[in-house]
Amino acid sequence: MTAPEPVIVTDRLSRRFGPLVAVRDVSLTVNRGEIFGVLGPNGAGKSTTIRMLCGILDPTGGSGRVVGYDIARDAERIKERIGYMTQRFSLYEDLTVAENLRFYAGIYGVPRAARRARVSETMQRAGLEGRRDQIAGTLSGGWKQRVALASATIHRPPLLFLDEPTAGVDPVSRRDFWDEIYRLSAEGTTVLMTTHYMDEAARCHRLAFIFRGVLLDTGTPEEVVARRRLRAVELEVADASQGIEAAALLRAAPEVEEVEHYGNLLRAAVRGGADPADIVRRVLEPRGLTASDVREVRITVEDAFVSMVRDQERDEAAQAKRGHAA
Amino acid sequence: MTGRPLIIAWKELVQLRRDRLTLAMMVALPLLQLLLFGYAINNDVRHMPTLVYDQDDSRASRELASTLAATGTYDLVGDVRNYDEIDRALRGGRARVALVIPPRYASDLARGQTARLQLIVDGSDPQTVAAATNGASSLVLARANAITLARLRAVGPALATEPLTIEPNTWYNPELKTAVYIVPGLVGVILTMTMVMLTSMALARERERGTLEQLIVSPVRPVELIVGKILPYVVIGYVQMTLILAAGVFVFDVSLVGSLPLLYALAFLFIAANLALGLFFSTLAKTQQQAMQMSMFFLLPNILLSGFMFPFEAMPRAAQFLAQLLPLTHFLRIVRGITLKGAHADDVASEVVWLCAILVALVALSSLRFRKKIA
Repeated sequence: MTAPEPVIVTDRLSRRFGPLVAVRDVSLTVNRGEIFGVLGPNGAGKSTTIRMLCGILDPTGGSGRVVGYDIARDAERIKERIGYMTQRFSLYEDLTVAENLRFYAGIYGVPRAARRARVSETMQRAGLEGRRDQIAGTLSGGWKQRVALASATIHRPPLLFLDEPTAGVDPVSRRDFWDEIYRLSAEGTTVLMTTHYMDEAARCHRLAFIFRGVLLDTGTPEEVVARRRLRAVELEVADASQGIEAAALLRAAPEVEEVEHYGNLLRAAVRGGADPADIVRRVLEPRGLTASDVREVRITVEDAFVSMVRDQERDEAAQAKRGHAA
Repeated sequence: MTGRPLIIAWKELVQLRRDRLTLAMMVALPLLQLLLFGYAINNDVRHMPTLVYDQDDSRASRELASTLAATGTYDLVGDVRNYDEIDRALRGGRARVALVIPPRYASDLARGQTARLQLIVDGSDPQTVAAATNGASSLVLARANAITLARLRAVGPALATEPLTIEPNTWYNPELKTAVYIVPGLVGVILTMTMVMLTSMALARERERGTLEQLIVSPVRPVELIVGKILPYVVIGYVQMTLILAAGVFVFDVSLVGSLPLLYALAFLFIAANLALGLFFSTLAKTQQQAMQMSMFFLLPNILLSGFMFPFEAMPRAAQFLAQLLPLTHFLRIVRGITLKGAHADDVASEVVWLCAILVALVALSSLRFRKKIA
């Protein structure tokens, strides 16, 4: 195992838009070859963070270094060494697949002599040969995504930024996309991506949770899940109407962080490391509800994220209350 | 120097080739405008419907009316018997001019007394008034002169010479054909219209479709992007210019007197200024539609103030000052000077200086506005 080699380092990175603080004091490190996921709801500040790291948006506070260059002073140096792809895919819809790739190869400074070979290698790698002369605007979402990823990596950048790259793409295309991301990572490319798909988050090497511009936690998916000290159970009740009643009772219980229910099937996550089966029985049995088939299940990244957001909201509510009292 | 401007220009051309409508517009627009302006705009006022109120009804009076008709400026459309009829005809638009010949016209002339003719002109369209009065006035003056000379000759032949004559001599466009004046000017108007519109839309389109963000995040430098974007349109500008000049020569008999290489060289300044302006608009516009509206808004003062339709000298001071800031004003003087009068570079030097100054200002302005940041 070689020593981690930081590709992105930020220190209290912040961005304001007038009175609105879009990103507040974000400090994080991303190492070479990592797939780093930035998670958060819409408007949490994910895209703003990526844009600052790419050098197309100046930070209003803090600092950052990307591929060894300062994001405020050497933005143009950074731009030569990164690939960037957004959920809009940013293809020229009136150019063919090959023309799009040739254009981006030229823009990213692939030497003229090497351009043709690079375009066909990239098309081969992405499985695009059959679509070579198709107008990009007529491709389906999944194919557009492939072309966009191929365009963003045509200059073989050491660092790749992906802003919600799988939004609006079918599941099969998403799986192919992830295969390619793993392949790039294995070849040493660092990938920073934003997503709000929790199943995708679990596939990243490390994660950062951003909520209302604040970095709540970073670490491997296992680490961030473990730090929440959550446990969860699945259980069944007799029928759907009991399901509704049981869900309401469990939600009212103080230890219970989250309840999901589908008909007579429930899933409850509890805080503090207590045995969730005990808590469920203690809440339901006095009301004459019988939980059957109670079994402990794995905590997901989604559980951890929801719990973190709840904590944050509870903190803010408590602060607001203190503010009122004073 | 990397090949980036070239690859951007290549991309623009490929996109343009696929956009058949825009392409057709770029060829059809100049030709259509040329035909419209070339045939429709005519400042020579001729064939004005004219009434005659002949109170004398003599051979001499009838002869006077027919000489008037022979000038081609006046078409005799009828005789009337009183002023009310003239009033009605002018109000109804059946006539624009009325000639009133007094009673005893022939006998006054014969007795050597002054005959007082009257010309009534419809002044609601001021552009026609001058033509309507000048034609009749000079005709009558010439005739009066001839009569005076004849009378003097009868008294003593030594006195019978004209004391003063003037021979008007119109150079460069002796037949005063409006098309000759309009066609070279049209080169400037069409270029203004298409160059500003196409470039402002070219960048606004990238912004609208999200590809601009992709370019901003790439290592492309603003100057590379701007040069690459305008290069194809410079070529299109020259194609349009050639089309209009060729049509002017073959359809409207405009003879190109001056040096074409000089004209093409100086046109570069004008085309570049318009492209820079289009880029400046595109930094303000968020959508293609806004870019289009701005270009149209810009076109109007150009047509009105540049001297294309109305003489620069007739405009008030403030309007003249404003007109000096428009590239078209200066290009019109250059293109008309070279094509119609065979002007040399030093004849149009001050216009070239103006164009350069405007170009530098516009490039500076749009580079300042176009930064590679998104907020």
